[in-house]
This record gives sequence, structure tokens and C-alpha cells, in this order.
Amino acid sequence: MDWQALTLTLRLASLTTALLLLIAIPLAAWLVLGRSRLLPLVQALTALPLVLPPTVLGFFLLVLLGPRTAIGRAITALLGHPLAFSFSGLVVGSVLYSLPFAVQPLVAGFASIDSSLLDAARLLGAGPARLVRTLLVPLARRSLLAAAVLSFLHTVGEFGVVLMLGGDIPGATRTLSILLYNQVENFDYPAATRTAAVLLTLSLAALVAIYAAGQARDAGQVLRGRGGTRA
Amino acid sequence: MRSKSVSFLQILFLVVLSTAPAALIGQTSLRIAAAADLEPVLPAILTQFEQETGIHADATYQSSAALTAQIQNGAPFDIFLSADLGYPQKLIAAGLAQGLGDGANGTPIAYAHGTLVLWARKDAHLPALSMDLLRRPEIQRIAIANPDRAPYGRAAVAALQKSGLYEAVKSRLVTAENISQAAQFVDSGNADVGFLSLTSASTPRLKAEGNFTVVPTSLYNPIEQGAVLVTKAPHRVEAKTFLVYLMSTPVQQGMREYGLTPSRPVP
Repeated sequence: MDWQALTLTLRLASLTTALLLLIAIPLAAWLVLGRSRLLPLVQALTALPLVLPPTVLGFFLLVLLGPRTAIGRAITALLGHPLAFSFSGLVVGSVLYSLPFAVQPLVAGFASIDSSLLDAARLLGAGPARLVRTLLVPLARRSLLAAAVLSFLHTVGEFGVVLMLGGDIPGATRTLSILLYNQVENFDYPAATRTAAVLLTLSLAALVAIYAAGQARDAGQVLRGRGGTRA
Repeated sequence: MRSKSVSFLQILFLVVLSTAPAALIGQTSLRIAAAADLEPVLPAILTQFEQETGIHADATYQSSAALTAQIQNGAPFDIFLSADLGYPQKLIAAGLAQGLGDGANGTPIAYAHGTLVLWARKDAHLPALSMDLLRRPEIQRIAIANPDRAPYGRAAVAALQKSGLYEAVKSRLVTAENISQAAQFVDSGNADVGFLSLTSASTPRLKAEGNFTVVPTSLYNPIEQGAVLVTKAPHRVEAKTFLVYLMSTPVQQGMREYGLTPSRPVP
């Protein structure tokens, strides 16, 4: 088992999930609360990575972030190397690739919150930042969890973007999915089966743990809530 | 709401119906599994072949290893044009493919030799390309095709090892899935130089944008490219016709223009 590929994948997925939540929470809040005419356009743009085949997305990033464009040259000057074939390049690719998986559940969660609560908070003088912090996020916890889990898993299973952008460098861009692909392509089916088993077991364990924790917390809240009404 | 969803279903139904006949027509054409280095070469040959014989052929381009795995798992190809002899031999040994002629099952048909080149963009402003140039620190990224499954990648690693450069440049290698992707890595400017096939370097686009030098053939084993008939080929007769055509003098002669060396001396 190639532990380097495993830790690299977990590092990539964790970092991507953290960045995505930072981006997706304000973005989703704006999509739900905002009044701009641009809303449908922005909403459509955030869903677009679902349409593009991952390899095509990876290819566009390879060209767009490469040293032949102004953006690419700026990045190269900033980092000292092009984004392609580096861990930071994979993070950028993963954030774009998994963006819909973070934004869509949050938009659904935020939109399902009773609007009278929001109106009341606004009347009491809460600004958008406070609305998000004290109302949207606490009330949409399940959606937040869903967004985090989906982003994480989608990044763990990411393949096409990494294949196009990564260059298969051990310790930097050889993720589990690339390793698995290499093993399959090299006809090393026993190793591929082991890698796939590790990937599936870990993901299953993590998912069960997260959903169990979510369920336990919900149950706790229901109990606390009942206690409150009785008192 | 209700009527909207019905009409959506109707549209779906129409789409499915209208594409079905196309799928049926598609089945009558020859299917060729071709190594990625043939992507710049084969389309012109196939067009010419169709004009002369009326047989339409579609090609799928991937690394030789990926195509081998697909054929092993029953992919409905008629012909496999590999970038080496090893993968076709493997398929023959497994009884999944054969050479030309009813008795000659044992060996792939060597249809061409590939040439490895070192390629860089003109606007990279590098000094004249050579293997020794790779030692320089300003060469940060060197693109190669995956040596485990792409014959050109294997040749690149062999050339680096034989010239004593491999250890020095190992950490600067970026591995592409196949030889076309290696070209993408350098052409997009993300890698400084790349080991490409002469077929890629001979395309109008890469010719215009870059310079190349042929890697000395003493540094790697010849890239002998072999063709086989897939045993379960749905279009056996047409497939044989194509292989005979591929080995015919005019086609073999034309190969140089695309960066392949004919498998036998042609006038």
C-alpha cells in the first residue's frame, strides 16, 4: 500500500473542503438572500463544473494557469513555479471541480429556512454577516455537513482533473485515484484491488462516523428541545 | 406543471428514437484501436482508405497499455495498432489477436518504426536542444509519457539512463498519461522540454511553435510498432483489407511525412 498517496489524498481533500466552505458559505448566502440581477448567472456559473468533463476542466486549467497566459505568468511569479504539476495546482483544480458540491446543498439548506425568522432578524438590525453567522449556519447544520462530506468525497474520488494537471509526481500530485489508475493500467490487479479496498473502507468508515455523529446530535437536540418546552 | 413534465418526457423519447438509427449505422464501420502517437498520422490514412475501398473506419487513440486492457476485456475493436511489439504479442499469446494470413498467428505485423525527439517551444528561448541541455537548472520540468505503459515513455527513460542523466533529472520529470498528453504539457508551456514522438513534432501546430532534435537512436531500443487483428473482430474481412492497405508501398512511403519510418525499405 502506498501510504504517501493516501496521505496526499487526505491532505488535498481536507484543504479543499476547508477552502470550499470558506468560499461556499458566503456565496450560498448571497445566492439565497441577494437581490442582484446577476443571481441566476452566478448560480449557473457555480453549477458549470458539473457539466464539463473533468479532463476538459483539467485541460483548461493547464492552459489557463500555464505560463502562456497573463494569469499563469502572475501565478508563476508569485509561487516561483507554474501551478501545473504541483500540490497547490491540484488544490485550485479541486476547489473549482467540487464547488457545486459545496454550494448546492448550502443553497438548498439556506433557502429552506423560515423567511419570517430572517425578516425578524433584519428588523432587529442584523446585517448580512450576522444573519449568516447566527441564523443561516446554525439552522442549516445538516446542509453544512452534507456540503463538507460531499466536497471531501468528491475530491478524494477526483481523477480527470488530476490526470490532466498533475503529471503523476509521487508525494506532490500522485493521488490515490491516480495510483489506482496506474496499477490498473499496468495490469497489477492485486495491488489495484488493495488500493481500492483501502479507499472504499476508509470512505465508508468516515461516512458512517459522520452520519452517526449527525444523528446522535440531532437526537440530543430533540431531547433538549422537548425538555425546554416542558419546563 | 404536469403538462410540462409530460412534454419533457416526450422530448427525451424523441431524442432516444432519433439517435437509435445512427447507432445502428455506426456498427458497420471498422473499429481501430490505435496508439496515441498515431493520432496525427491515421486520420489521413483512413480518409484515403475509405476513398479507395469504400470502407469507413473509426479510430480510438490511447496509450498502448490502455487499449490492450480494453481488448482483453472484450472491447469490440477489429484492429489494434500498438506503439510497440510487446502488447500485441501479449494479446496473441492470450489467443485474443493474430497476425495476417491464416497460418501466421504468431507474430504482430511490424508496420512502422517510431522516432523519439526532444521538443521545446520556440518562445522558451533555450539554446540548441540536446540531451546535455537537460542538466541545466533552468530546465525545471521535463515531460515524458508514462514509461510503464507508453513505449515512447520507456524509450525516453532508456535514453536518459544510457546518457547518464536519469538520476540528475529524475525529480524534474512529469509523467503524462500518453505521448499526446506529453505534447500538451510542453506545448502549453507548463513543462520546459518534452520527449515526444516525431509524429507529434511533425504536426503543423508543433512545427510552427517549437524546435526539436532527434534523440540519438543509439540511446534506446527501436520503437517497433506492431499491428494485430483482434480474434473476435466483428469485421474480419474489412480488417484484413485495411492491414494489407497499411503495408502497401504508397502508404508505407507516405509515413515519413508524418514522422514514422516505414517498416521495410520502400522505393
